[in-house]
Formats: sequence, C-alpha cells, structure tokens
Amino acid sequence: MRKSIIWLVCVAALAALPHLLSFSQQEILVVLVINILLVVSYRLMTLTGEWSLGHVVIMGVGAYTSALLTKNLGMYVPVSMILGSLMAAFVAFLLSFPLFRMKGFYFLIGSFASAEIIRLLWKRFRDPFGGPKGLKLIDGLPDINIGPIHIDFFEPTHYYYFAVIVVAACLWILWRIERSLLGLTFHAVHWQDKLAQASGVDVRRFRTLAFVLASGFAGVSGALLTHYIGTINPNTFDVELMVFVLTWAIVGGTATFYGPILGCVALTVLNEIVLREMGFEQARPLIYGVVMIASILFLPNGLESLVKRGVAAWQGRTGGAGAKEKTP
Amino acid sequence: MLELLVQTGLNALYSASYISLVAVGLVLIFGVMGIVNFAHGELFMVGAYVVVALYSQNEVPFVLTVAIGLIFVGCIGLLMERTMFRPLRDNPLGGLVASIGFLMILQALASMTFGVRMAFVPPVTQDVIEFTDKIRLPVQRLYVIIAAFGFLTALWLFLTRTRFGWALRASAQDPEAASLQGISITQTARIAMFIGAGLAGVAGALTAPLISVNPHMGHSVIIAAFIVVIVGGVGSLEGAVVASAAYAIVHTFVTTFYDGVLADITGLLLMLIVLIIKPTGLFGTADRA
Amino acid sequence: MFANFTRNGVTRRKFLGSAATLAGAGALSSAFPRVPLAADKVVKIGFLAPLTGPVAAWGKPGLDGCRIWAEWVNAAGGISIGGEAHMVEFVAYDNEYDPAKARTGATKLIREDGVKFIMMLGGDTWPGVQPVADNTGMLFSTLLPSDLSPDTKTLIAPCEVHPVYNVTGVEWLAQNKPDLKTAVMCAQDDALGLPSVATYLAAFEAAGIEMLDEPLLFDPATTDFAPVVTRLLSKNPQIVCLDTCYSDYVHPIAEQLFQQGYKGQIISCTADFYDQMIAKTSKEFMEGFIFQFPDFDDPALNADFINFKDANKFYQVYNERHPGEWGAVSWEYASIMDLWKAAAESADSAEPDAVLTAMTAGGKGKHAFGDADWWGSDLFGIDHALVGNWPVVVIENGKATIKGFKSIPEWYAKHGELLKKHMTAYNQMWNQR
Repeated sequence: MRKSIIWLVCVAALAALPHLLSFSQQEILVVLVINILLVVSYRLMTLTGEWSLGHVVIMGVGAYTSALLTKNLGMYVPVSMILGSLMAAFVAFLLSFPLFRMKGFYFLIGSFASAEIIRLLWKRFRDPFGGPKGLKLIDGLPDINIGPIHIDFFEPTHYYYFAVIVVAACLWILWRIERSLLGLTFHAVHWQDKLAQASGVDVRRFRTLAFVLASGFAGVSGALLTHYIGTINPNTFDVELMVFVLTWAIVGGTATFYGPILGCVALTVLNEIVLREMGFEQARPLIYGVVMIASILFLPNGLESLVKRGVAAWQGRTGGAGAKEKTP
Repeated sequence: MLELLVQTGLNALYSASYISLVAVGLVLIFGVMGIVNFAHGELFMVGAYVVVALYSQNEVPFVLTVAIGLIFVGCIGLLMERTMFRPLRDNPLGGLVASIGFLMILQALASMTFGVRMAFVPPVTQDVIEFTDKIRLPVQRLYVIIAAFGFLTALWLFLTRTRFGWALRASAQDPEAASLQGISITQTARIAMFIGAGLAGVAGALTAPLISVNPHMGHSVIIAAFIVVIVGGVGSLEGAVVASAAYAIVHTFVTTFYDGVLADITGLLLMLIVLIIKPTGLFGTADRA
Repeated sequence: MFANFTRNGVTRRKFLGSAATLAGAGALSSAFPRVPLAADKVVKIGFLAPLTGPVAAWGKPGLDGCRIWAEWVNAAGGISIGGEAHMVEFVAYDNEYDPAKARTGATKLIREDGVKFIMMLGGDTWPGVQPVADNTGMLFSTLLPSDLSPDTKTLIAPCEVHPVYNVTGVEWLAQNKPDLKTAVMCAQDDALGLPSVATYLAAFEAAGIEMLDEPLLFDPATTDFAPVVTRLLSKNPQIVCLDTCYSDYVHPIAEQLFQQGYKGQIISCTADFYDQMIAKTSKEFMEGFIFQFPDFDDPALNADFINFKDANKFYQVYNERHPGEWGAVSWEYASIMDLWKAAAESADSAEPDAVLTAMTAGGKGKHAFGDADWWGSDLFGIDHALVGNWPVVVIENGKATIKGFKSIPEWYAKHGELLKKHMTAYNQMWNQR
C-alpha cells in the first residue's frame, strides 16, 4: 500500500515536471531523460567489471540505423527504433569477439579504438551515412490525431512523455535483469573472476551478454535522440559525450541502480542550467571541471553515498531497525 | 618515387619523435600510478603555450623556453599528483575522471588567457637541409628529432643507471612488491608524474613553432598516444618507442599515398589487430592491465 | 491524461508577436516566469553560435564584432521602428556546435528572451534548429548557405555565400596569370571543406586549369601536415589550392609548402592572420597569395557601392579591443545586422515575417560588398542567399590588397552546369541532403 502511494507520487511528479520548467529547460529535460537511459545501460555493462569507451558510438549505431531506416525506407518510427536497438546489440555482439580478448585498461582503450573506427566509417562513407555532415531532416514520431486529442511530438513536453514511458520501461527491464539470477552472475563475474570461472560460469559469455544487453538499450537511447533532434552527425557521438557519460556514472556512483541517474541529473543541471544562468561564458568548462574533481575527491563513492548516509541518518533518528549496521 | 619515399620517411621520423615523447610519459604515469591520464594531451598543449607566453610574447630565447616548459609542466604534473592522484590512489577510475576534470580546466584557462584562436609562434630558424630538391629536412624539425633522441636516451640512462630509476622501474612492474622492498610509492609517483608531464610539456614546447597552437590541440595528440601505448604494451617504455615509430610510419605513408581519414582508420585497425593477436600489446606482460 | 496534452501543451502555432500567447505560455511555466514584459524600446537579437570548444573561433569573434556594431547603432539613436527609437541588445547562447544544444538555445532565445532575429554559424547546428524555425516562424541567418533548402523558409544567408564566391579568385587567377595551367588541392573532410572542393573543381574546370590529382582530404584532427604537403608537391603543380580550411590548417600547410621548397602560386579561401604566415615563411613566398577576405582597412572598401559602413574605423576599433583576433567572421555577423536594421526600418516592424518580406523585396539586397541579388534556387532550392560581387584579395608587398570585385552571378550564368556537376559528385546539392 505504502509502496503504491510512493509510485503514484513519482508518476505524478514526472507528469507535472515539464510544466514547472521554462521552455528551454523542457528541451534540456528531454535530452536528460534520454541520457539517463544511456548512463543506466552503461552501468549494466560495468557490473561485470569492464569499462568501455565505446558506449556512445554504440548508441550512435542505434541512432544511425533508425534514422536511415525511416529516411530511406520510410519505415514507421517506433519500428525503426526497435530495429536500431537490435542493430546496436548486434554490432556489440560482433565487437565482443576481439574486445573480450582484453581486460582492464586494454579493454578500455580497445573499445575506444573500435568505436572510433565505426565513427570514422560514418565520416568516410558519404553514402549512406552522409559523411561528416551526417543525416538531417530525419522524421520525428508521427503526430497523433484522434478526435480532439492532438499530439505533436515536436513539442518537448509531448516528446518528454513519450521518452519517459519508453525510458521507464527500459529501466524497469534493466532493474529486473540486475535483480535476476543473471544480474547476480554479472556481479559474481566482476568480483570473483577466477572463482566464477572455477564454479563453471563461462565468464566471457556473461561479459558478452552484459555488453550486448547494455548496447541494445544504448541503441534505444540513440534512436530516441535522433528522432527528436532530427539530425545526427559523427561528432554527435564523439569521445566528448563518452567522457560525459563516464563522469556521470562515476560522479553519481555505480554501486546502486540510481547512482548514475543522480550523477547525470546533477551534472546536467549544473552545466546546462546553473552555470549558463550565472552567465559564465568561457569559464563554464572550468567550473564544471573543478566541480568534477571536487566531487571525486570528497565523495569518492559518488552522490549515491550521500543518499545512503541521508537515509541512514533519517532511519537513525526515527529509530529504524538496523540503522546502525548500515552506517559505514 | 624514391625521393617521395625518402621524404615521407623523414616526415615519419619527425612524427615518431614527438609522439614517442608524449607516449613515453603516458606509459610512465600509467605504469607507476595505474592511472590513465586523460589530461596528457593538455599537458602537451600547456607546453606549447609556455612557448607562446615566453618566446613569442616576451622574446625569451627558445632553448630556455623549452627548459622552462619542461619544468613548468613537470610542476603541473606534481600538482596533479598531490591534489588528485595521491588521494585517489586506490581509485583508478576516480583518477581517470579527475584527469578529465583537469583537462577541462586547462583548456578553459588557455582559452581565457590566450583566446580561442590559434596563437602565433615565430619560427626559430628557417634553415632547411636540402639533400636534393625534393628531399628536404627543415632544421626546426631536426631539432625536435634530436631533442627526442636526447630526452629518451637520458630517460633510459636515468631508469637503468640510477637508484631512483631502478625504484621507478620496480614500481612500474609491480607496485606491491616494490613497496614491500621499501620503495616509497609516493616518491616514485612524484618522480614519474614530473617526468611524464615534463616530457609532454617539452614535446609541446618543441613542436609549438611547427604546429597550430590552440586550446584544443591536445585532443589529436592524445588519441595517437593512446594507440601507441596499447600497441607497445602498457607499462613498457621500449614498446612505446617502437610503437611510436610503427604508428608514425603507417600513418604518414597512408596519408601520403591515400588520404588522412584512411590513415586514421588504418592506425586504429593496426592497434586492434595487435590487440587481437597479442592482447597485451607487443611488449606488454599479462599481469599489468 | 492524453487530454492534458491539448489543453496545456503548446501546439503548432505562431508565438511571435502575439502578446496573449506569450502571456499564456508564460503561465504554464509559472515557476520561472521569464517572458519579457513590454519590450521597453529594446529590440533583442539572438546570437546562437559556438562560444566555447573547438569551433569557438567561428562564433566568438563575430559576437565581439556585433557588440561594437550595437554600440555604434545605439549611440546613433538605435533602430527606428514605429516612430520610436529601439536600442539593440544581443543575447548570446553558446551552442557548442551541437545540434541538440542549438535547439535548446533557439527555444530559449525565442520563447524566453523574446528575440526578433537569430544569427547562427549554421552547419551541423542548423538541422537541429530547423524544426524550431518552422514552428515559430523565427527569422534566422547562417554563414553557410549550404544549410539552405526549399524547406527553410525563414533562413537566410545574407552575407557569406560560401563556397560559391571562391570562383571569383580562380577566375581572377586565370585572367591575370594565364600561363598557370595545373593545380592540386587539399581539403579538410567536413561540412565546410567538401562543398568548397566541388566549387574549386568547377572553377578550375571553367578556367581550363587541369587538376593533377584527386583532392587530398585530411581529417580535422590532423596536427602534422608534412605528409599532406609532400603528396601535393609530388605532382609538381603550378597552383596549390588550400580549399576552405580553418586557419589552424592553412598556416601549417603554407609553412610546409615553404619548407618543402614550393615556389608556385597558392590560392585559398581564407588567410586569417596572414601576417603570421608571412613571419613563418617569407614575404617573397607569400607574395601573390590569392584569397577572399579583405582587411577592412583596405581603401577599396570606402567605395560608394560598399554597404558596410565605416569599414576602416570598424577594423581599427576591433583591433584595439581584440588585438590579434580579426578574421573572416569578425565583420560578417555585423554586416548581417546592417541588412536587418535596414529591413526592419523599412518594414517599420521587427517581426520576423515583416522583416523578411522587406529584406527580400524586389529580389535585391544591400550586401556588404555592394548591391546583390537574392539567389540560389538552382543550388539550394530557394532564393535566400544574397549573392553579388565578392572581392578577390591578393597579398602584395606583405599586405592584403583588394584586386577587384568579381560578379558571382555572371560566373554562374556561364558555368553553372559545371558547379552543379561537381556539387552532385560530392553529394552537396540540396536534394541530396
């Protein structure tokens, strides 16, 4: 009962959110929702202990696929989005063969290199990828007109609701995966590489599975982005965005499901709203960098550790059972 | 055709020189501290701006400027070690993110101090050694090649002939064993950071008159350096030098005979192929990854 | 829940000029009511270009130029609309050359700041903004006419007609140095370089100059240009064409050409900071370098047909305030503002549709370099590029000198098919995008 009330409040808050924001903040909100899916899917990949620098390009594979399918074959957008996601997962599957021969730092840089090759291929082959200019005039979601209801997905609020529903569904699946036996195996692969292997777990197969699943969801986020902005080019998916995803995850913390979301929301609000409102032009990256370093130094376990501490303190005050054990 | 090949070889030699200076520093930092220093390209950039500030704007002699570049950027390395990498010693991903934050700070500082447009560095000399009409080596490039040889030799002597160097190599191979041997990790980290950053700074200072100095110039250098580090094998200084030469040759020849974009793709493919055949790089060992 | 969409949502409707709509929309975002109240005799102009990041050099210097322009105009009594003087105020938004951020910026400038006109660099960022332009009817300008297409009803390219003006340099070269017959070209592989490659190829073909090699493309992340130059010179060309490159590439390429012993003709779209190039090479080497962007202290810009006011003084003030920053974009955004001001005053309104109508009335416009035609159906599918004369600039005795103004429409009338052929080969026609 209490749980369902909390859920209702959450849904109501999400529904009301865009109406509390200014127009440009609504635009930022849409991209933020898409980025949340990106960073949460990234976390699934990191559960197995490998950090990739190719996630954003995989997202781009989803984006390019979905865009090309609608642009060249006139495919219905939601269908192309699903195919884009599948394509991203498939490319990840192919990449997993060379990449999972490596570990740690080698994997990090190997994933970067293979992603960069894909990106350069988009640049080099003007047909069909559009070359350095990329693709433009990509169809958005078709308008919906049923009687008095008129939904135009150009409007940030309308697209926001669509994105929230899609992203919430994806997050729910990701959450179920993590809570399932599969998720536990991912954790096991990370912490007890040798042990998991000894107990008959094919480590590489599970790493591949995590990589492919994460990439599929990254593909969804890419497709969501492309049909909102209507244009993509190879630079949309360059290492700069990858670096942002990495910092969202680490600043937020990756121990919990909500950590990366916290990081993504906090840093986006800081960079796109707070620093812009304060009128920093050229100093914006500087302050962002300082905040990033400070947060990693003083909150090494991410923003999520603040939440944990907050919850523990709250439980301690209300005398919740077991509060003492939870405090680190 | 022969002339074209020789000239391209000279181009590759120059390119290998400055890339190896950057890559060796990156390897040293990773080897000793286990941290991927994403800001390494920006240290290169700061080295170039030292030349802009002193040599271009205040007419300090170039050689002196390069020395100052080495020390100044080395000190930035010390600052990074003290403020970020030491507190984050047990958190390599944290170190990575902190270095990204530092990169943004350096870029922003450079564009706020020197403007977003490229900075001007007058040539040190315009002399050119003409072997034939088509085979020419500008003396400025020769300086970079000589300096790279000099610094790399000095580094090699330092690492093989001195106690500090021995300690450094020991910690690069196995930090835990080294600390059991009574080698101070803090001390070796400091030296590695100073040398690693200083080499990037000196590469930036030396090449500043030859390339376009702007706040974002570090980006393309770091990508080449990463490729080189991987191909050579993480933690292997010899590997970094050999791989710099290999990468420079491949990249230069493909650019000359095909085109620049294809050269980038080839460089990356080369790296993937090495990784697939030998997942620890040419000179790397299995346990440092 | 879906019904909510229609009641509260903002549907396809024109916002501009309707105070009631603005107020209504403001109520929706009541937490942050940032809608400007009565525009107190101030007219706001949006500046939506990269101000940070690698492309900042194409935005920031332009904003600096605009601020000088605004000071001058405001000191002279502002813009007269409806019999009242309006002060001009620029509102800048840094789009970081990212389409999504450009879209956010456009929304903010239009719906929150209430600007009447937005100047952009264009390129990668324009497609992100295009749906916003369609839905609001806002008037935009770009420096890259390759953004134009039949769908971009409210986008104009009133200053730069890049890369079409590059034909004037080649035409001048062929007329004045007729014995130069062979050329090679290198270009950066991006949205700036490729249409320019097609233009130069057409211009060379029209001038009877033979290309000795395919254009050599390099990635914008290139640092060392020695291999590129070695390849170019291996063909023993009489002309080396640098296409349209960032000055970060033009300089090292020129320096490499010098060091590798090249002594022939160079032609380029830009030569920003050419004094530094002379310092890096030699006065003799740079003598005769052809490009398209004059210094504004050139006496030729005092001619009667030039519409850019006080060019010489503008150049002087700009250099005092921003020493070492003068470049092609420094004056371009300001010259667009001249055009906009004239149109707003003649329409007696700052509303985008009225200004656009006034601006394009009669198919003629006052371009910075003289009266010009609204043109472009052939190439862009819409007559929204202001094309007329463009100066050919040659370095003489260490100083950029305007050697004459050449007519782009006249060239096109003769050789238009060639341009279309090469643009098609590089996928640059509007219907290929």
